[in-house]
Amino acid sequence: MNNPPAPDAGAPRRPTDWRGTAMQRRIRRRYAAERRFRLIGLGAVVLSAGFLAFLLITMLSNGIAGFTRTEVTLPIDFRAAQLDVTPQQLESRGADLALAGAGLEELVERSATAAFGAHGPDVISPHAWTGVRDALKDDPSLLNRKAAISVPVSQDLKSALDGAGKPEMQAIAAKLKQHDMIGSSFDFGFLMSADSTDPTDVGIWGAVKGSLFTMLVTLAIAFPIGVLSAVYLEEYARKNRWTDLIEVSINNLAAVPSIIFGLLGLAVFLSFMNLPRSASLVGGLTLALMIMPVIVIASRNAIKAVPPSIRDAALGVGASKVQVIFHHVLPLALPGILTGTIIGMARALGETAPLLMIGMRAFIAQPPEGLTDPATVLPVQIFLWSDQISRGFVERTSAAIIVLLLFLLAMNALAIYLRNRFETRW
Amino acid sequence: MTDTQAPAVRTDNTERATPKRETHIKMAARDVNVFYGTSHAIRDVSIDVDMENVTAFIGPSGCGKSTFLRTLNRMNDTIPIARVTGDITLDGEDIYSPDMDVVQLRARVGMVFQKPNPFPKSIYENVAYGPRIHGLAPAKRDLDGIVESALKRAGLWEEVKDRLDDSGTALSGGQQQRLCIARAIAVDPEVILMDEPCSALDPIATAKIEELIHALRGKYAIVIVTHNMQQAARVSQKTAFFHLGHLVEYGETSEIFTNPREERTKDYITGRYG
Ligand SMILES: Nc1ncnc2c1ncn2[C@@H]1O[C@H](COP(=O)(O)OP(=O)(O)O)[C@@H](O)[C@H]1O
Ligand SMILES: [Mg+2]
Repeated sequence: MNNPPAPDAGAPRRPTDWRGTAMQRRIRRRYAAERRFRLIGLGAVVLSAGFLAFLLITMLSNGIAGFTRTEVTLPIDFRAAQLDVTPQQLESRGADLALAGAGLEELVERSATAAFGAHGPDVISPHAWTGVRDALKDDPSLLNRKAAISVPVSQDLKSALDGAGKPEMQAIAAKLKQHDMIGSSFDFGFLMSADSTDPTDVGIWGAVKGSLFTMLVTLAIAFPIGVLSAVYLEEYARKNRWTDLIEVSINNLAAVPSIIFGLLGLAVFLSFMNLPRSASLVGGLTLALMIMPVIVIASRNAIKAVPPSIRDAALGVGASKVQVIFHHVLPLALPGILTGTIIGMARALGETAPLLMIGMRAFIAQPPEGLTDPATVLPVQIFLWSDQISRGFVERTSAAIIVLLLFLLAMNALAIYLRNRFETRW
Repeated sequence: MTDTQAPAVRTDNTERATPKRETHIKMAARDVNVFYGTSHAIRDVSIDVDMENVTAFIGPSGCGKSTFLRTLNRMNDTIPIARVTGDITLDGEDIYSPDMDVVQLRARVGMVFQKPNPFPKSIYENVAYGPRIHGLAPAKRDLDGIVESALKRAGLWEEVKDRLDDSGTALSGGQQQRLCIARAIAVDPEVILMDEPCSALDPIATAKIEELIHALRGKYAIVIVTHNMQQAARVSQKTAFFHLGHLVEYGETSEIFTNPREERTKDYITGRYG
């Protein structure tokens, strides 16, 4: 019918020479370019894998020792000592007090002197007697016996065992090794107690608990506010200069260095609102401010990615706007929202600087009991230990890093699991 | 636009071709204009949609068929820059009046879209969603009944009755579109709007949908947009031809296809543009 005029087919046509040398050269160059690009990519992957492997190997080789404690077998003659406690007292609640009052600590020191010579009390850890106390509580029949009990060694002896430290200690260490009286076991104390000045007695539990409380506050504040902001901005806000401004601000906030958020938290939560210093509540609020922009951005992108056809479908059967959002948009955006949230939470978990600003760097020997108790968190604890001179803290630092990395790994695994679990196929 | 295009004037013309039937007007549009920002997409359109006939909207791409269709259940409300003027009534009620609840309106005037868009949920949930949010089924048993009858009316029951828990998105394209029709039927609408429901489907699936439209005729007022003129001829009894935002001609389908009054209609039907 009304077709446009046919193109002029009359012009002569020279066939392309697909086999000529110029063509061959072009093909070779193309292959070479592809090979080069593949090699560069492979090199980058190998390099980063190498760095990762180096980090993991050093951490593991240092850190494994941090999870164990070195013990020495200490013979104690309880019968001869005649401690002023009854087996009934040992079963009761006041056992700790009774044993301390009966001079158990002195008994342990005396036994150490008897066993290891004049430097005996320096061989065992200053709180070796608490281990003996627990052994007595477990088995009151020890009271009228002679017994050999494994107690933690002091930091001095530990250094001596590694071939460092004072000569008299090295002599004792050599002798103990010869008599096979040195052993090591998994240090449950490390997982169950809090910070201490003595590296043989420190634990990570205080910091873990502080991190958990802090993350809890961060999640409880940042997730709902972040997601609701994203919903409002995407679904309700009119597109005008104000929303553009808000959008730019949020994007910029996500890039603000974290220490600035620490200053903000200091000014707002401590100086203005007078919340307690060093508390996980304040730490959590500060980190919530920090990761909120990340959650808002991730959630907005996830909401944007929900196909408009689904909104149309829901509106078409008479769903209200809120029903469309809560029945369709949010469930479909959930994998993206959760992934963004967990990435934000992982960042918060590893954050040190803003928490230093609000005073979470204090020495805290008791695990926090509540959100307002003074607390510290894993990365800050690592930072504090890495600052210590004593050699024993090096292993503990590496061990704490392993714990932190395990947490991060678990969170990332959770992110991947959630994404796969809630992902919908179209 | 002159008055000759108003649907009422066409009646004397159509009486020649088909015996006059008693029809009752379900939706009526008068002097409807739609603007997207400053662009004028629909110009002074007046049309009546009745209960007894299937009405087809035809016209070249971009002429405003979808835009006009979406004014009938106020889906244009979701486009911030869209503005509608003029009167549109459903059973005499102005659907753009402040008293009209748009959520209820969309339940009464259901819609089926160009691309099948089942929810990524089970087949059962797809159909049950509408009745549930409108509180049409107080008990699970009632809901089961509604789902079954909607799927039966959409001609899908036999194919899916054993796998109601499978995802709606796992069905074939044609089945998905029938599922969408079942979803629209389940809220017991009075009018069903279909925007090129077969354009993404193969000929066999298309034939099934067309059969379905035949079966649904009379139970619901049906408006179907199509760019396929054979389809318009097969499924509709009334046809409206749109061009550049104008309603050029509206009348009995047989009349439009055999004896169009307007030159533009004739050009379009004979394939001069489209
Ligand atoms: N959301 C929108 N925003 C702006 N213009 C639109 C929008 N939707 C449609 N239009 C314009 O309105 C006119 C009619 O479009 P449409 O109703 O989709 O035509 P049809 O369905 O007949 O192909 C077209 O010019 C199109 O560009
Ligand atoms: Mg269209």
